[in-house]
Amino acid sequence: MNALAWRQFRALLRKDIVMELRTREMVTSMGLYALLTMVVYQIALSQAGSLFNPADIAAGLLWLAFVFTSMLGLNRSLVHEKDQGCMEALLLSPVDRPVIYFAKVIGNLAFLLVVEVLTIPVFAFLFLQGRERGFNGPLWLIPLVVVAASIGIAGVGTLLATMSVNTTGKDVILAVMFIPLMYPLLLAAVSATNAALLGGQAFPVSLVWQGLGIIAGYDAIMLLAAFGLYEFIVGA
Amino acid sequence: MEPTNIELYDLVLKDAPFIIAGYGVLWAALVVYISLVLRRILRLEREVKAVEDSVARRTGDAVS
Amino acid sequence: MRQLKVALVLLIVGGLMTTAAFFMAFYTAEVQSFGTVTLSQQLDTAYPLTEAGAGGFTYGRPWFSQKIFYFHVPVALASFLVLIIAAYFAVRMLLTKRKEFDTKSRIAMETTLVYVMLTMLTGVLWTRASWGVWWDWEPRLTTYFILTLMVIAYFVLRNSIEDEERRAVYGAVFAIIAAINAPISFFITRIIPSNHPVVFKSGFATSNLIPFLTAMFGMLMLGFAIYVIRMSEERLRERLDAAKTALEG
Repeated sequence: MNALAWRQFRALLRKDIVMELRTREMVTSMGLYALLTMVVYQIALSQAGSLFNPADIAAGLLWLAFVFTSMLGLNRSLVHEKDQGCMEALLLSPVDRPVIYFAKVIGNLAFLLVVEVLTIPVFAFLFLQGRERGFNGPLWLIPLVVVAASIGIAGVGTLLATMSVNTTGKDVILAVMFIPLMYPLLLAAVSATNAALLGGQAFPVSLVWQGLGIIAGYDAIMLLAAFGLYEFIVGA
Repeated sequence: MEPTNIELYDLVLKDAPFIIAGYGVLWAALVVYISLVLRRILRLEREVKAVEDSVARRTGDAVS
Repeated sequence: MRQLKVALVLLIVGGLMTTAAFFMAFYTAEVQSFGTVTLSQQLDTAYPLTEAGAGGFTYGRPWFSQKIFYFHVPVALASFLVLIIAAYFAVRMLLTKRKEFDTKSRIAMETTLVYVMLTMLTGVLWTRASWGVWWDWEPRLTTYFILTLMVIAYFVLRNSIEDEERRAVYGAVFAIIAAINAPISFFITRIIPSNHPVVFKSGFATSNLIPFLTAMFGMLMLGFAIYVIRMSEERLRERLDAAKTALEG
């Protein structure tokens, strides 16, 4: 049974990845969206003056970009499932609901991570050049924070997007539910990323670990809740 | 009144309008909300009575 | 209409209790002090004298804006409680798939919305009185803002689903997640360091506990009264629908 679930899981994941490799739709649209967010940042910061250091709010800007791109991606990925009747076929097949959920979460997480890995260097290139002397934190912890928080985003986001694609509002409904629910996670992620980037006396390493701890706790609680509730959602 | 006492009361009175307004707003909101719901209920009750009466009349007609 | 009578009694008792708490807050509760104020001469007052010297006479600053405590905190606590009740009914709904639990959960959510709005209104007025600004991203306010958004999102979600059964299930799922998320954000906004100091401090005298508890029970009764009234309205609506279909069919 376990081996069967594992095979089903891999098959479902492969389906998403093969489709993505064929069309490259998700990563392209998400990446482009992240790039456009950078342009919006430039507009927002254009009057900030030369004394303003973007590194001070870099963590916040980065997570802002991730939030919006992830919402776009989540909505996309489940609209696809629905439009092609894929979800209905899946529900008719003898696959356990948790397997479907985790396959979807891991798929969304993978796309999200690809886009994040592409976005971070672009963001650094566009906004943080020449500010490197201000980076005193343990930079190697940033990927850890990004991965930990992305798990939460993909986990809760998949559940919410599964609901929102069946409503008349679709992406608007997703945003309305997603942002308040993500609030604690994002707060912790921004705090941890900021401390990992700037470091120094104002932002000691303990803040990074504290943030990571909170993110881990949030991930555990919310994934458990989402895992338990997913069955009801797809059943309705 | 003592001039220093006025000073002390001043501290209190600066806060007072907002706090009293807080109580007022809370009460007003509750009263408005509840009275709206109660009025809706009264109207519904009349409507239910009218419709149920006509149902009873019709079934009464059918029986007789 | 026995329920309406019960609700009316609850309304009257709750209203009397909260009103009594209002007067107790001003007449029997101790005025708490927050910070100090230095005056040029000593005066005959109930406020505690903390320091007397060449610089003047330092008194505890009477903290009048603390009086909102007897209304604001009971409403806030009651709103959390009603949210938990809504989530409890949501769980029952998911387990039994019965429509009545969906209605109960929705009505409890509506009561939460009313109370959360009242908390926000009184909170904003308190912020203005105490800190001199209408809004500050302080942990308590932020958490409440998030909670308000989640409760609104619940109704937005419900309104954009046409299928009745699906609306019930999705609403229940979201209510449960929101109830899980509320305490999490409550803790996390306090743990994560922010630039804003937490100015609120709470110290309690017994003379303050009595009005507070009176207001607390009064608010709970009012909340329950709102719930009962709304439920009986829902029942009337169902009866009307049933009678109308009987008339047509």
